[in-house]
Amino acid sequence: MPLKQSDIEALVDLFSQSGWDEMHLEIDGEELFLSHDSRALGGASTAPVPAAVGAAVGAFAATPASPSPIAPSGTVPGASAAARPSHWVVVKAPNLGTFYRAPAPDAAPYVALGAAVTPETELCLIEVMKLFTTVRAGMSGVVREIVARDGEMVEYGAELFWIEPA
Amino acid sequence: MPVNRLFVANRGEIALRILRTAKRLGIETVLGVSDADRDSAPARLADRAVVLGPAQATKSYLDVNLVLHAATATGCDALHPGYGFLSEKPELSRRCEEKGITFVGPRAETIEALGDKLSARALAREAGVPTVPGTDHIATVADAQGAAEEIGYPVVMKASAGGGGKGMFLARTPEDLSANYDRASREALAAFGDGTLYMERYVEAARHVEVQIVGDGDGEVVHFGDRDCSVQRRYQKLIEEAQVTAMPPELRDRLRAAAVRLTSYANYRSAGTCEFLYDIAREDFYFIEVNSRIQVEHPVSEEITGQDLIARQLSVAAGAGIGVAQQEVTFKGHALEVRINAEDPLNGFAPSPGRVAAWEPPTGPGIRIDSHMRPGDLIPPFYDSMVGKLIVYADSREAAIERMLAAIRAFRLEGPKTTIPLAAHIVDHPDFRNNTFSTRWLEDKCLPAFLQE
Repeated sequence: MPLKQSDIEALVDLFSQSGWDEMHLEIDGEELFLSHDSRALGGASTAPVPAAVGAAVGAFAATPASPSPIAPSGTVPGASAAARPSHWVVVKAPNLGTFYRAPAPDAAPYVALGAAVTPETELCLIEVMKLFTTVRAGMSGVVREIVARDGEMVEYGAELFWIEPA
Repeated sequence: MPVNRLFVANRGEIALRILRTAKRLGIETVLGVSDADRDSAPARLADRAVVLGPAQATKSYLDVNLVLHAATATGCDALHPGYGFLSEKPELSRRCEEKGITFVGPRAETIEALGDKLSARALAREAGVPTVPGTDHIATVADAQGAAEEIGYPVVMKASAGGGGKGMFLARTPEDLSANYDRASREALAAFGDGTLYMERYVEAARHVEVQIVGDGDGEVVHFGDRDCSVQRRYQKLIEEAQVTAMPPELRDRLRAAAVRLTSYANYRSAGTCEFLYDIAREDFYFIEVNSRIQVEHPVSEEITGQDLIARQLSVAAGAGIGVAQQEVTFKGHALEVRINAEDPLNGFAPSPGRVAAWEPPTGPGIRIDSHMRPGDLIPPFYDSMVGKLIVYADSREAAIERMLAAIRAFRLEGPKTTIPLAAHIVDHPDFRNNTFSTRWLEDKCLPAFLQE
């Protein structure tokens, strides 16, 4: 029985409401590791879970909706998708909002292409009606691709970054 | 200010319904969807669909910030909320206005005034519209018992902030009141965040009748006739019809006039419905509430008038007025609507989500299907169980009943359990045919017999 996206969301919700520090779940060879400590690595877990609740890295099978004729979305399907190594991990948007690479208009971006990241490294901001959510890497590795464009709207589940795990 | 690009903040059949009219009128459309609906029929029809958030409605359809952000970022100049979800949240109307987006619905203050049942009743009395004899807020059991003596038993306790039948308790005796008062208050608090109760006379045998109106926001109101929605289970409508045939004609004239008077007095903007209780024994009607949105059952009014109510809403939103005068609205024939819910009537109406293996709705003259379903579609478990509406139109009520029964027989739907077999049973029932039923008929008489068979 493969874990569905809705199952994972429900588990993340339950976990974030619980007083637990960590949760390690294994069902038929699939593993899910949840932790409030962003530095924690879930034992044999192969799929790292991001610190930002909702940005369930790699767990979503969803693909971004294709751009429509009116005001195409900031989500651009990666041209290198076919060539992308299979061990790279995607960081997706936790909800619809405006994607910002820097903490302020005149500040340097949080991360550049090729930057080394740790689980707690801030990658970007997603803004919804002036409410900003920080998206963190949730894993150690190197930023290999920045998919979303600064200042543009991204949809829920849109690909933001690809990271090559360390 | 014309509407050039419309944001549709809903899903399912009503999203599709709104998109179709917008397309016909040459308005660009953007649909905000959840992850579960990214490949739905309305998402395909919209010029653009944006994914707001995950399947969970609180993180997508019910999040005012997400919806507003999406509407603004996609350059929409108007927003249609449909029904349910955020449609009757004053906050959405207010914040749309602040953002320069035209809300296709009433002003925030109108929704607030009409959304609270007590202030709506006060407004009705000011406008000279009759209400059920009842109380203001009741604070204690003793208050309730004192008031019930004056009103006359049986009485019903209701949540001031309520709707949909939650937090309603019937009391036939003073003992009933003391036994249920605390529970009613608790349930009201749990369901609506407000434990305030009020009480009113309970009408033993009633029909649920309502009047469809559209207002321009400056006191001009046009009605689109009346509807009868007396086939209900737990205050949820299952079958609706237009026009009302269970009331004397002169009483129906008064009913329509009352609805227009009230909504005109409130300077009502956009489409709305005034709901009334028709007291069969007393041959009198009482105002219940105004639903400040387009309703599920609006198609039956469209069928008997030939009007597109979504187009009227968009006309008002564009500042072009209602676009039709009262004398231009004519009434002809009879329309019936059956709600198709993915629920199992034989199993306590348990939700029956899942894959629709076969979906072949009937076609033909006088048959209309409002649905977003396609063969192979998944009915997600996160939302309302309604998968569509079957609407028929004919010259008379009798002919409409025959057309509905034929349409149901021709309907091929496989996969989830639905309420279609129950609908066929109801429409074919002698009491329904003879039009001799009340709002309690389905639960008290029809359903028990149906379950026995």
